[in-house]
Amino acid sequence: MFVRGPPREGAAVTFLNIVLLGGLAAAAIPLIIHLLNRRRFQVVRWGAMMFLDDIVRTNRRRIRIEQLLLLLVRMAIPALLALAMARPVLTGIRALIRRAPSSTVVLFDNSFSMEAGEAGRSTAGAAREEAAAIVADLPRGSEAAVVGMAGPMPAVEDPTVDLVRIRSGLEDAPGGFGLARIAPALQTAAGLFASRMHQADRTVVIVSDFQRASWSPASTEERRRAWDALGAQAVPPRVVFFPIGAASTDNISVESIELSRPIVGTGQRVMVRAGLRNHGRRAYPDLRVHFRVDGVDRAAAMVSLAAGETEQALFPCTFDRAGSHVVEVRTEADALRADNAALASIPVLDRIPVLLVSGDANPAPLRGETAFLEIALQPFSRGGGKMSDLVATRVTPEDRFAPSMLDDARVVVLANVRQLSGDAVRALRDFVRDGGGLLVFPGDRASAAWYATQLAGAEGLLPAALGVLAGDPADDAGASAIVAQRHTHPALAPFNDPRRGSLGGSRIRAWYRLEVPSEFAEGVAARLDTGDPFLVERRVGEGRVLLSAVPCDADWSNLPMRPFYLPLMQEMVVHLASNVHPPRNVEVGDRLAAFLAEPEGEARAVVTDPEGTAHEVPVVRRGRRGVAEFAETDRPGLYTLRGPKDEPVHFVVRTPREESDLARVTEEEMKALATEAGAKVVRSGDEYRELERERRFGRELWRSAWWLLLALLLGELVLQRWFARRAA
Amino acid sequence: MPGVSSFLTPADVRRIASLQVLARTVVEGFCSGLHRSPHKGFSVEFREHRAYVPGDEIRRLDWKIFARRDRFYVREFEEETNVRATILLDVSGSMAYGSGEVTKHHYATRLAACLAYLMLQQADGVGLVSFDTGVREYIPPRSRPGHLRVLVDALAASKPGGETELGRVFHDLVARVHRRGLLIVISDCFGRVPDLLSALAHFRHARHEVILFQVWDPAELEFPFRTWTRFESLERAAHHQFVDPATLREAYLRRVAEFREELKRGCHRHRVDLVPLVTDRPYADALAQYLTLRRRRA
Repeated sequence: MFVRGPPREGAAVTFLNIVLLGGLAAAAIPLIIHLLNRRRFQVVRWGAMMFLDDIVRTNRRRIRIEQLLLLLVRMAIPALLALAMARPVLTGIRALIRRAPSSTVVLFDNSFSMEAGEAGRSTAGAAREEAAAIVADLPRGSEAAVVGMAGPMPAVEDPTVDLVRIRSGLEDAPGGFGLARIAPALQTAAGLFASRMHQADRTVVIVSDFQRASWSPASTEERRRAWDALGAQAVPPRVVFFPIGAASTDNISVESIELSRPIVGTGQRVMVRAGLRNHGRRAYPDLRVHFRVDGVDRAAAMVSLAAGETEQALFPCTFDRAGSHVVEVRTEADALRADNAALASIPVLDRIPVLLVSGDANPAPLRGETAFLEIALQPFSRGGGKMSDLVATRVTPEDRFAPSMLDDARVVVLANVRQLSGDAVRALRDFVRDGGGLLVFPGDRASAAWYATQLAGAEGLLPAALGVLAGDPADDAGASAIVAQRHTHPALAPFNDPRRGSLGGSRIRAWYRLEVPSEFAEGVAARLDTGDPFLVERRVGEGRVLLSAVPCDADWSNLPMRPFYLPLMQEMVVHLASNVHPPRNVEVGDRLAAFLAEPEGEARAVVTDPEGTAHEVPVVRRGRRGVAEFAETDRPGLYTLRGPKDEPVHFVVRTPREESDLARVTEEEMKALATEAGAKVVRSGDEYRELERERRFGRELWRSAWWLLLALLLGELVLQRWFARRAA
Repeated sequence: MPGVSSFLTPADVRRIASLQVLARTVVEGFCSGLHRSPHKGFSVEFREHRAYVPGDEIRRLDWKIFARRDRFYVREFEEETNVRATILLDVSGSMAYGSGEVTKHHYATRLAACLAYLMLQQADGVGLVSFDTGVREYIPPRSRPGHLRVLVDALAASKPGGETELGRVFHDLVARVHRRGLLIVISDCFGRVPDLLSALAHFRHARHEVILFQVWDPAELEFPFRTWTRFESLERAAHHQFVDPATLREAYLRRVAEFREELKRGCHRHRVDLVPLVTDRPYADALAQYLTLRRRRA
């Protein structure tokens, strides 16, 4: 077995009570007694000599050996007693270093699973105390650092000889981060040893709950590289595993929260679907689940959750006010509060203003190029329903299109537009680059040459050239259809669920054979059954462009007549509009970004993290907007960004829910891990101190000496009886 | 000159006197109706009449009394039922051992006196042979009351010493004790058991009844020594063993047990009554044990 660590030291013994070692002279007592006995013998005039003669003749040699052996054992007993009382300590050259300064890195598990615990005391609390005790026990002049395994611990992660600062920093160190990552923490420790720590006596102590999720076999290779990096140090550190806290598997987590739509309009109904999982063995027949919006209770539901099962809770929700909102699903099931709630940030808009640029503004009913599209985007207002539409359309003929119209628009639709002026194209390009959405439906009026030169190309907007016209608008015989397939594009993905409709039944009589350059090949969202692209997307700056192979009216196809037309148009517009807002729900470590009002001078925004700490970030001008970014998203939870002239924007930083599974590594797995790392395993602070004391001062042998003494006493009795029986 | 009282305490004498009733049921010739005396017709001195019991010889009927009383009576004579007993007393050096106040020799001489007294009370003839490697003294059996004094004087004068050679001595004695009778051996029997058994077999072959009182000192049976000890032989000068008794005790006890068992089996084989005696027990107890044994044999 390969064991990492310093070379084995030569064995030596020292004594804590060396004066008592003089008691070794007591070994002579049995010998003296023996000699005195032989000198002070009694004389018996004996009649039955015949028996004695027989015995002595046959046993003389054996008796002498046995007597010698017994004498040696009896001499060893007082000698061992004296030895035990002198408290011998087994040391190597360690006896010379004793309280020499050392370099210690504590890898501290600050994941949220450490917040679990019993009797009002979390595992993290116990871990902090133990880590502080480890640091406090270091010899004077030692340097130490504490590295968070799940998130940063800025106050203590720099090596220092100021151990008091480390200890107080540990008390205030934040916890509740996401998944504990072993390998990066080990790499950090290796880096500290390599460049910033200087003592030859080095130790890495891993204080963790040793969740199986963090130490899975899948990450063995990654860990092995980290161990190798640690072992490659000039002086490899010792590794100590300190599993802490009582094993507990009872835990309920809200492991996911999903919204039925990424963007919501005021008065629109959105469904919030929360996934709950019971990680333990205890059943929860009446689990109360609360639904909150912006911290205010809105609804509650009862969920029955058997051991090991998952369940969903569905909450409908509407918003009266535009802006950034936060929905939260929470249970009060167990002590591990960190995963009892899941949050999501929803941007609520008054309306999505969409500018429809029509190439054929025919005022006759349903004859205009955008007639069907207008109805599809505003079904309620056009149909006279009570509910409100998310989209507000504005139609303009192409010849009246002006760049200023883009100021109020989030999505622009070019419906069978022949061509636009150069200013209009430049304005459109800026609009998209700044995060706007562009939806292009070319038709019979479209100038393929203008599209190719002005809109397509590397510097253009379109992901494809229009290509040649296929099919015949007047002949249904050669019609093609949209291929039914599993869609991955966000605007088409809802049609994977049959309950929400399908793209089947389309008849497309004529279409442009879109010529997609190889660099945009991945942007093809759907195809026709001829193999030609039907819908292609391209990302331009912060915005997106969707190009359709057919127009949005009924001249070339029956699309407006199909049930999927309305949701398809809605989904495409919402998808393009959602690009207006950078993601509000991100993973730990992802960058937060928000578009703000155009800054004036050196503007700054303030980000408040889940701990309530405020961070200032600059607002950078980008086009006609300001952009604020924040990268320190190590902690999961709610972040709020406030610009100088803006409403607060909420972000939810999520963490993988593997930490919610509190199952720990088994004893066998722990042994295997210890072997993998060449580590010692301690279960308590006392054990660690004993290990450290043994390492520094050697191992006290008095207990072994006492056991040996007891064994000798028993052995003397046994030997005596055995010899007597043998003699018999 | 020592008298009987110096050997026997009044309690012993009283106890032995009370045992005479038992003795009569045991000693050969006492139960005259059960078997005949080996020396019939030897004595003519009339002692008493007793009622006839089936088995008595018809010629002993006193016809005169029958004529007077119309009942059968038998005439008994003084010497008619007596036994000739010889006490063989071991006076070898090993008999001088005593862990307490009483040595084995001391005990043996008193036991011999008791037996002599008992038998003379029954008008049996008692003789004495003391021996070690050879016969030291030989007193032929007599039944005269004054013979007790002769025996007691001889016992008092005996001194233990010398080695033991039971086998050879007993073989020699067979020729000297030519009239068959009862041989009472009082000895510790230390020596080669096969030799001893061979000699006892010789006695039995000469049709002697043999009773063997084996005398032990308690220390010889328990080996209670703890400290280093120099055991000096009582029989061979300058012969000694310097040992730690604690380490040898179990072996010694096992060896003694083997010795006793071998002797016991041999005596049983040759129909010799073996009576082990320990010197811390009263002589009277030993006699009672012996007489009980003899009655069972009878």
